[in-house]
Amino acid sequence: MRYLFISLLVILTFSSFAVGGYKEKFEREFMSQPWAGEQAEENACIACHVSDKMEPKLKNIPQNWQMSIHYENNVSCHDCHGGDPMDAAMSMSRQRGFIGAPKYTEVPEFCGKCHIGILKNYLESGHGKALKKTGKGPNCVTCHGSHKEEQFIQKANIDIINEQRCTKCHSYERAMIMKQALFLTEKKIGELEDNFKRLKKEGVFTADDEKPLFSTQAEFRALFHTVDVSLVKERTDEFRKRLDIIEKNIHDTLGELRFRKNFSAFILLLFTGMGVVLFLISKTPKE
Amino acid sequence: MFNRIKKWLEVRIGLDDLTRTQLTEYRVPKNVNIFATLGFVALAGYAIQVISGIFLLIYYTPHPDHAFRSVQDIMTRVPYGWLFRQMHVMGSNIMIAVVMLHMVTVFLMGNYKRPRELTWVGGGLMLLVTLTFGLSGYLLPWTQLSYWATTVVTSMPTAFPYVGDFIASLLRGGDYISGITLGRFFALHIAILPPVFLSLIALHIFLIKRIGISATPFGTSDEEKRPLTEYKKKTYPDGSPYYPYFFQKQMLMVMIYVAAMFFLITFMPALFSPDEANTPANPLKTPFHIRPEWYFLAPYQMLKLIPNKFLGISIQIILVGIFLLWPFLDSQKEKNVFKRPVLRGVFIFLLALWVVLTFWGRY
Amino acid sequence: MERRNFFKLLLAFLGSISFASFAYPLIRFLAPPGIEAKTKKLSLSKGEIPVGSAKNIVFNNTPAIIINRADKGLVALSKICTHLGCIVEYDRAKKRLLCPCHAGVYDLEGNVLSGPPPKPLQKLPLKVEGETIVIG
Repeated sequence: MRYLFISLLVILTFSSFAVGGYKEKFEREFMSQPWAGEQAEENACIACHVSDKMEPKLKNIPQNWQMSIHYENNVSCHDCHGGDPMDAAMSMSRQRGFIGAPKYTEVPEFCGKCHIGILKNYLESGHGKALKKTGKGPNCVTCHGSHKEEQFIQKANIDIINEQRCTKCHSYERAMIMKQALFLTEKKIGELEDNFKRLKKEGVFTADDEKPLFSTQAEFRALFHTVDVSLVKERTDEFRKRLDIIEKNIHDTLGELRFRKNFSAFILLLFTGMGVVLFLISKTPKE
Repeated sequence: MFNRIKKWLEVRIGLDDLTRTQLTEYRVPKNVNIFATLGFVALAGYAIQVISGIFLLIYYTPHPDHAFRSVQDIMTRVPYGWLFRQMHVMGSNIMIAVVMLHMVTVFLMGNYKRPRELTWVGGGLMLLVTLTFGLSGYLLPWTQLSYWATTVVTSMPTAFPYVGDFIASLLRGGDYISGITLGRFFALHIAILPPVFLSLIALHIFLIKRIGISATPFGTSDEEKRPLTEYKKKTYPDGSPYYPYFFQKQMLMVMIYVAAMFFLITFMPALFSPDEANTPANPLKTPFHIRPEWYFLAPYQMLKLIPNKFLGISIQIILVGIFLLWPFLDSQKEKNVFKRPVLRGVFIFLLALWVVLTFWGRY
Repeated sequence: MERRNFFKLLLAFLGSISFASFAYPLIRFLAPPGIEAKTKKLSLSKGEIPVGSAKNIVFNNTPAIIINRADKGLVALSKICTHLGCIVEYDRAKKRLLCPCHAGVYDLEGNVLSGPPPKPLQKLPLKVEGETIVIG
């Protein structure tokens, strides 16, 4: 019997070397699957922009982009700048929609290709009007940065409004009033996001409930871009109500999780108890 | 009242005789250890899986568009649905651990030797069926983890030249995991594997009763050293009665098993649910660090390490063959593993290798 | 013997509590859902939505929109964008629904025309009974 196995082992070992040619084909297919090993970066834009031939100013771009919130959401070069990322020859071709880096006054429309709600509010705001009329004023990059130099585009947060940035054109006072108006709502949104993280750790599926939070947050932030303090204050209540509903849902879920923990702890105790009693029974001899 | 029922049954099935022969006069060796209870614990574990599985079946929808949502509904909307689902999830993992432990202890005690070779083969097949239960069940919640871990595991057969692609395709119902895969894995999990498993259980228990429980080898003189040339059922005339002594040992281990399950449910409910286990499957996006379930990590890691894939999978199949047919390969009469340093050494080496590969595959 | 019997009694007691703590959840688990699970229906009169226009409603805590299309009649769509959950807006002139967050565009059937949304907008069940529209 054992000789059968040994001979099988030998036969299979030799034949597997014989089909070695097959190995390469298989290797290629098996190892190129994303889950089998390294993922191949097939992006022509990045391939050139990280190479040593690129001028240093443009060489940092892919690295900065990889730290940004766009990267986390699978938004890459061609989604904003156009061009063909699969074909190096056409990667910067006008035919494939390449538009390059926008000029200072065209930045809002560049970002507004996707962020249209914000573009609309911005253009109606004091900031937008100033930019369009005089060519000077804050555009998206002024507050949110881009992938130039040492910057990267982070997830928006309330501290983008700060003294250093907002005093470039006017006094800080009006920015501070706006920041105060936003503050409580933003704080609540932050708390709710933390709560969702906690729930996720406990294994709860939160995507359904995170959607209303995201939409409320997005609408609230789009509203801010009108830079109209009275409008923000007027509508803050409405937003608070929506956040309160989400908060209640989270509370209910946390309560439910506590109940489950207690219930299963109770059953745990019962079975441990029964185990102990059984053990004791086994130790009391039957006369 | 109780006595009247007993009398009624006695007239019809000879209850007294049954109780005597199967319970009170069925004797087990005096020094039987708790490892001998593991088989019963595995059986209890399987019973828990079946019962919780049936309840889950009432609310689960085996279609890719609805599977994830139905499992979420069981967890959040059905009253106490979370309880049965958690029992099923934790139970499946603990049961596989118990089954493996059972195999290791049987091996170390040499209880696979003549005349118990068939029992070992049946047990080995049951281990494979249990792993298949795990594989097929894993896909059913249709999460990112399910989808991609199954993709990895069903690609392993492609290491065979020519037939490999066909085998993988047959498993998956196509070139990639889809609703067709879900359909066949679901049928496997609830309709094809259970009768197979139950028949193997019946065979296994029949053999144990027919041949008799083997003597615990350590410290006692072992009659089975002399070669058996005719059938002789192993009995223990001065052993302890199965009921209550051994039965209460078995029940104690079952309590520990269930307590362990509820310990996990109470304090680590998300142990087997990382983020990817709570995200619906997305065929277009592979999560980073995707891996099969822990019990498949060792073969998976081995396959990744051996440069020639065909050799890798052939070695694994040969190892499985050796494992299943081990009683026929091990001709030494000595049952006590402490007196067999070579075997002990090789076994410990293999066990350590398995553990190392599992952890390596994890990280 | 006394002690042994006591333990047996204790075991039976614990055993029955364990049994009950599985039986009760099981009964709740198997019991058919109560009336609260049935969602309330929403009805409005047909006259409220002339052809070509639309009306925003809230159905079951979900913002939705009923559109009276010239070519295909009435449809009720959820206004929750399938990308990240923002609320879409109805563009009457261009006969489409547009999401202000990342420019997802849907047609009036709810199908995705462009942008990041992965799935069409959810359609709500809509029935016309005489002069009344019933959602749900």
